Amino acid sequence: MNIKIDNLRKSYGALNVLEDVTFSLEESRITSILGPSGCGKTTILNIMSGILQADSGSIIGIEGRKFSYCFQEPRLLGWLSAEDNLRFALSSLFQSSPRTNDIELRIERFLREAGLWEFRKFKPSQLSGGMQKRLALARAFAFPADMLLLDEAFSEVDLRKKMELMEDFLHLWKDEEPTVVIVTHDIHDALYLADQVIVLSQRPAIVEGTILIDIPHEKRTFTSSELYGYEKELYRLLGLDRTV
Amino acid sequence: MLLRWQLLGIISFILLWEIGALLVKSDLILPSPARVAKALYQLFGKNFFWLSIGGSFLRVFEAFILSGLIGLATGTMSGIKPQARAFLNPFIVGIRATPVMALILVAMFWFPAWQVPVFSAILMAFPVMHTSTEAGVHAVDKKLLEMSTFFNVPSSFIFWRLRLPSALPYILSGAKNALGLSWKVVVAGEVLSQPRMALGTGMQEARLSIETATVFAWAIITIFLCGLSEYLFGLLADRLSARFQQSSQEEDQDLS
Repeated sequence: MNIKIDNLRKSYGALNVLEDVTFSLEESRITSILGPSGCGKTTILNIMSGILQADSGSIIGIEGRKFSYCFQEPRLLGWLSAEDNLRFALSSLFQSSPRTNDIELRIERFLREAGLWEFRKFKPSQLSGGMQKRLALARAFAFPADMLLLDEAFSEVDLRKKMELMEDFLHLWKDEEPTVVIVTHDIHDALYLADQVIVLSQRPAIVEGTILIDIPHEKRTFTSSELYGYEKELYRLLGLDRTV
Repeated sequence: MLLRWQLLGIISFILLWEIGALLVKSDLILPSPARVAKALYQLFGKNFFWLSIGGSFLRVFEAFILSGLIGLATGTMSGIKPQARAFLNPFIVGIRATPVMALILVAMFWFPAWQVPVFSAILMAFPVMHTSTEAGVHAVDKKLLEMSTFFNVPSSFIFWRLRLPSALPYILSGAKNALGLSWKVVVAGEVLSQPRMALGTGMQEARLSIETATVFAWAIITIFLCGLSEYLFGLLADRLSARFQQSSQEEDQDLS
């Protein structure tokens, strides 16, 4: 069943952030919400995950779903090792499930897939910035959920690290293929990862347009000529197709 | 290099003291360092002296542990719940404003002599622990709390693995101050209530016998023990802090 975000509105006092946001999400697909900084992208994620309440509007089809979240900053506990950070996030499962070993195996699996198994005893401060982001990704994937929300998870790293992170992300995603919503202000993040891109306007946000990218992930690169048409369309929807 | 300056400071202080003693020319008012050293040496040979150190140490230890536990509990509650903070604040402000001597004198009506210094020190030191713990618990990274809530981390895990380690540097700093304060208040309490086997009792008896050099000797021992326990606790606190420190440690491999 698809998820429908219907006429979402949200204000912070006098600041109107979301005007009238409507779009749909496809099951087991990656959707990217693209828009300028400060347009209310994170607000949409926070409303979807229940951190925030919308002023009006509804989200249909998320009842009973479990969410996981990869925050903009890694949000790791500096005094815990990499594996203990995952144990901390999954601690509710340890309490509810008698099969502790299954959870430990899950932690091991995602640390291995994120290429962090050798560094499992390292504290976040001993890991590079890119490794910290990978650890945060591994944590988000390790937490059993039907939907994964990512807030600018690939920002603030150089291009090479970003590409490595995105490859790690796709590798982790293919494991269980949860429905993913990625919030980003970077066109290339959206082009490289998303099956569907929702373009938001400046604040107060409305949906400017939606494009579907029907090129398999394994055929996409940052320089794929096939993506050029989509890129042009995204620039147009963002109002960035004019000459400077 | 710094040790050399520290030694120079101590020697300068003793020289000034010696000059002062020479000018005053009265052992009753200001005994010379040599006279005090002799009194100290004489004390070392007495059983009473060592028993007094043991007695005072136990009282300080008891007061420190109890004030620490109470301060940790109330400080944690205040840090988490604004209602608890509002409820406890008048008590904390009241206790802070109470003069130590007034507290000891009142305690002498309520408790036997050996309990007066402990009670007074608990009441004086616990607000220090309370305030430090409250500040530490309150200063926890709100984004980490939001992450924990999102992942449904049980509250016991949040307390032991997030709030407590975040607050640890504040708690350890408060504990160090509370330890120093406990020594001062315990000895002051002993001077007034005069329990058996106590540094303060030794000090008071020497005063009554008009042995100024011996009073100085007891005071020096008190200062030394207070400084030593603060130093040892500081070492322990540094080791604990290092375990929880977020910044990379020199001995560890750093991949940043």
